[in-house]
Amino acid sequence: MSAPLPPLAYPGLPLGPSSLYTPGPGTHLSPSPSSTHIHASLAGRPILLPPSNKTSTLTPSTNNKATKPTPSPNNRGGAISVPSILPSATHARPTSKNISNKNVLPEVGSVVLARVLRVRGRGVDVGILVVYDKPIEGGPGGGKEGKDGGNAGWGEGNVCGEEWQGVIRREDVRATERDGVVCAEGFRVGDVVRGVVISLGDQSNYYLTTGKNELGVVMAKSEAGNTMVPISWREFRDPVTGATESRKVAKPF
Amino acid sequence: MDRRRVNGPAGGTAPPVYASTLTGKTASAANRTRQPNEIRKIFVKTGLTPSASGSAYLELESSPATHHSKSLTNRTPALKLTCTVHGPRPLPRSAPFSPQLLLSTRVKFAPFAARQRRGYIPDASEKDLAAHLETALRGVLIGERWPKSGVDVVVTVLEGEEDCPLEALAEGNQGGRIGGWGLMSILSGCITVASAAVTDAGIDCVDLITGGVAAIVRQPSAPLQLVLDPCPSDHEEIVAACVIGYLQSRDEVTELWAKGNISPSSSGKETKPLCFETLVDLAVEAANGARRVLVEAIKESTEAKLESSAVG
Repeated sequence: MSAPLPPLAYPGLPLGPSSLYTPGPGTHLSPSPSSTHIHASLAGRPILLPPSNKTSTLTPSTNNKATKPTPSPNNRGGAISVPSILPSATHARPTSKNISNKNVLPEVGSVVLARVLRVRGRGVDVGILVVYDKPIEGGPGGGKEGKDGGNAGWGEGNVCGEEWQGVIRREDVRATERDGVVCAEGFRVGDVVRGVVISLGDQSNYYLTTGKNELGVVMAKSEAGNTMVPISWREFRDPVTGATESRKVAKPF
Repeated sequence: MDRRRVNGPAGGTAPPVYASTLTGKTASAANRTRQPNEIRKIFVKTGLTPSASGSAYLELESSPATHHSKSLTNRTPALKLTCTVHGPRPLPRSAPFSPQLLLSTRVKFAPFAARQRRGYIPDASEKDLAAHLETALRGVLIGERWPKSGVDVVVTVLEGEEDCPLEALAEGNQGGRIGGWGLMSILSGCITVASAAVTDAGIDCVDLITGGVAAIVRQPSAPLQLVLDPCPSDHEEIVAACVIGYLQSRDEVTELWAKGNISPSSSGKETKPLCFETLVDLAVEAANGARRVLVEAIKESTEAKLESSAVG
């Protein structure tokens, strides 16, 4: 058994021996071989993620409540993590219940919401607005899955401070008949798209895919300017004019 | 006579000449009231600029010796710095792929920072300070966690230190001294305030970095003396000074800047020889003092953030 975690961590503070814990997000290992401590690299409240879950070592928890450290005697005591918190105490941006406001970077595999900026023949340029945390199974953030219909299955959404450039290449739009995709039939400028990051991409763009049923356009406006409702896997309908437009529709929940 | 332009008056006017208010020995050259191993009081607060992703403010008290004179012009300047951190944000489209965080630092003197007005165009000393600050911070940030992004660290000097005693300014010269000692205190402050702002922005760091300054000074009718955190206007002459960027929990130095006339190592057997090694040790001591303030300030702002996020 080791000492409990300190209530507040700041960069450089030793949190626990690496023989007992694994370093999670917001922490780092000291480079010297003599000292094998996990140090914090962010300011915040350190939490201990349960040891049984392998994926929890990779995933930051988003609630800031400290969980009881329960290191098992034989096994490793799980990952220590310092969840990042709001960038600044004076930030007065509106935050909804399941949207937090911290520094996030799109990673390979993360689910994102993006706005279509330009539709080209070879692909679609998007600006990434929201990055969802990776889903936690059994972790301290995972209990609320499915509660807020919109983000069932993945973690909490984080609004990006800046818009990150992304591109959905033509062959990544859908999983089947990838050669016959016409980008203009799947997206229009202004649509909000749910996608998954598949690569950090080139110098400026993240590469996204919408090649899954639950990925694609989640919100679209018609040519008349009305918000449309999805009616099939590839059509939206304007409830006012009754006109339908083709999209790569995300499966509604 | 040029008829196509607006000409000045035909008879030239002489610029007004003001009598100096700094006459008389109101402030003596050597008025350090602190102990040699005592640093100035530090005030640090984070999260003051709402538009930045992280920000901090740092202030060093002015030396109290001259407070008896009520005149504003006789006041010893304090050191006041603000730092804003923007990012991590996407790199510009023209930038090449970067697997880690790109750091860019800027140090800017406000036009009113010192007695002599500063211009808006970055001058050599500002660029120099920015380069030193960048080396100091680069060793602290964990850049691999933020690929393809850049961060801008901007320090604004709201009030900087004078390089020489006040009566020398009154005489309109630098007192025959080489300037630039004030820059060392400013760099030390820049390092500390940038560390606070970067932590406030939630960018991964291996440790908190703090700056510290130590100097060898010559007092009137006294031997050379080692002091922590020198204020250049407090001393008749600074012989050598050293500023350090120090990581306490790792016992590492990422930035070291020394100048002056000093021997590299000790030859005698005295406990504190006037040599470079002692100077560095004392600068580390000053940095450790600043760290205690910084840790408290960060704890305070972290608690406030946790509370506001729990409520919201």
